[in-house]
Amino acid sequence: MVVLRAHMCPGLELQLVRDLRECVCNAYLCVKALLAIRRVLLAQHTAFPVSGADLYEDLLSSTAILSTGHPRLDELLDSGLYTGELTELSGGPGTGKTQVCFGVAVHIALHLKQGVIFIDTTGGITATRLHQMLQTESSSLEEQIAALQRIHVFQLFDVFSLLDCLCSLRRSGLQPVAVGGACVRAVIIDSVSAVISPLLGTRHTEGMSLMMQVAALLKALVKDFSVAALVTNHVTRSVGGAVRPALGVSWSHLPRTRLLLEGPDRSTHSFSSLRSATLIKSSRQPCHMRVEFDLSWWSRSKEVPSAKRKHS
Amino acid sequence: MQRPVWSLPLSSAVISKLNRRGYQCTADIEHLTTGVKEEEASEVLDLVDHQRYPVSITALELLQREAELKPIVTFCSELDRALGGGIPLGKTIELCGVPGIGKTQLCLQLAVDVQIPECFGGLGAQCLFIDTEGTFFLERLREMAAAVVRHCSLLTEDQEQQDAMRTFTVEKILSNLFVRCDDSMELLSQISDLPAFLSDHPEVRLIIIDSIAFPFRLHFEDLPLRTRLLLGAAHQLAALATTRNTTVVMTNQMTTRVQGEGSRLIPALGENWGHAANIRLLLQWIDCKRMATIIKSSIFSVSIILSVLLPVHT
Repeated sequence: MVVLRAHMCPGLELQLVRDLRECVCNAYLCVKALLAIRRVLLAQHTAFPVSGADLYEDLLSSTAILSTGHPRLDELLDSGLYTGELTELSGGPGTGKTQVCFGVAVHIALHLKQGVIFIDTTGGITATRLHQMLQTESSSLEEQIAALQRIHVFQLFDVFSLLDCLCSLRRSGLQPVAVGGACVRAVIIDSVSAVISPLLGTRHTEGMSLMMQVAALLKALVKDFSVAALVTNHVTRSVGGAVRPALGVSWSHLPRTRLLLEGPDRSTHSFSSLRSATLIKSSRQPCHMRVEFDLSWWSRSKEVPSAKRKHS
Repeated sequence: MQRPVWSLPLSSAVISKLNRRGYQCTADIEHLTTGVKEEEASEVLDLVDHQRYPVSITALELLQREAELKPIVTFCSELDRALGGGIPLGKTIELCGVPGIGKTQLCLQLAVDVQIPECFGGLGAQCLFIDTEGTFFLERLREMAAAVVRHCSLLTEDQEQQDAMRTFTVEKILSNLFVRCDDSMELLSQISDLPAFLSDHPEVRLIIIDSIAFPFRLHFEDLPLRTRLLLGAAHQLAALATTRNTTVVMTNQMTTRVQGEGSRLIPALGENWGHAANIRLLLQWIDCKRMATIIKSSIFSVSIILSVLLPVHT
């Protein structure tokens, strides 16, 4: 047994220690009662160890793999987005990050019939484009309408609104709409660096703390509700000229899987829809795996003969 | 999980006061009852209030809202077709091109086209033109306005259109809202002032900034600061565009990137600036013809990214 002293734990100031001692003297509490209180407090605030087998069982029952809708991207991501994890897409302007986010949202809402939360911070979301992609995948109007109703869009433009939104999603258990809401399986944020980059790089460290707060909330959200999160990020050039994702090293620990998208070959005057995706961080596949994929997969027409489909 | 008090949008003085009194997270403040009369305290309580959390809309409602917004025609039929009817409302668009390719001309055309009355298929709205380079030519605007009025008067059929033509004149078109900004500070403060400006002038549905590059390329040594300021400004414009269904058109200059043996022209203001606009149009000369290419957009499927011929407007 230890004697109570100031600063043994955060918040235990000298004044508090004196108050507690006075409280004990006045309340005539015996040592046994105090020890019992201490045991209860420890039990409430300690993390219990769990065996690996139980953890594995838990994981098998709660994890789902959500296909992205594009076969080449699924190859790279080991069949798709895993729930309980965060995946990051980074790339320069025009490389197709927003198109991939739309494609994922459309696939999950239409084929997997699950809800999707789409947080747009750039003003780039266009429901017309989502509808076009739905029309490519399905010809039934009822299915398209039902899928559109499963995608919930938040349009936010600053980091405080983003924090408010993530807090409220956590509190409400990811049920933004009470009526007819399908169970939400994915949270897509396009893009997270648009709200955070303007805050970083100044003398003040608030930008960094706000970024870590967003990271902590996202992590808690994906773990507690077993959803898959997909975020997009900008890129910067390092000193040697190589391209790397923005937001720095602290952010890089948050996503479990990171993809770098690279744009079309600009040396000619024509612009193609081919892009390349490189895996730069993954715990399941070998890093630096690279695939070429075609953005026009999401605009393919249904009458295309099977021979042509092999090209995408 | 607690949300700490420093993550609320409060000034650092208020945050340190709260921390000193032992309020470390929002859960500590939530259960305070009213009776707190000071302005600072009630501001804090307001922020913690649950009712202010952002609301979502479904993609279906967004589609219905978008269907009601008409695009702004450019009178270049191929460009209009490529853009799906014209420049869409509620987005930020960047026009890049070498000097003399016609960026300002296209902006002037859009400034006139947004004012076409609704009965002719236009928006009947106003435009705010922010000029930073001093290349705004009133004579050219007058010619374009006259051409559009002539075009509409030839199409007049019914009574409603005839009534509209009475007020749709060159003088009315020229009474546009026009601002001149001389340096980057003026431009940034003008952009920050735009929400209040748009509340006072709800008819404005188009904001043109010609050009956004010029004030930032002169006398700006600190490049990271420039990037931050530009991205912040672009973000404010994107927020404005989306919340007020207004289109923002910005023109950008070109710069040269030296790569190995050769060099090529790329849009100015750096790579990070590329993320700022929702749609990017590159105007260039190809085989002595003016061509426009959509190099970035979330709206159009990639299969229709193509080059269109820009005719000379008469």
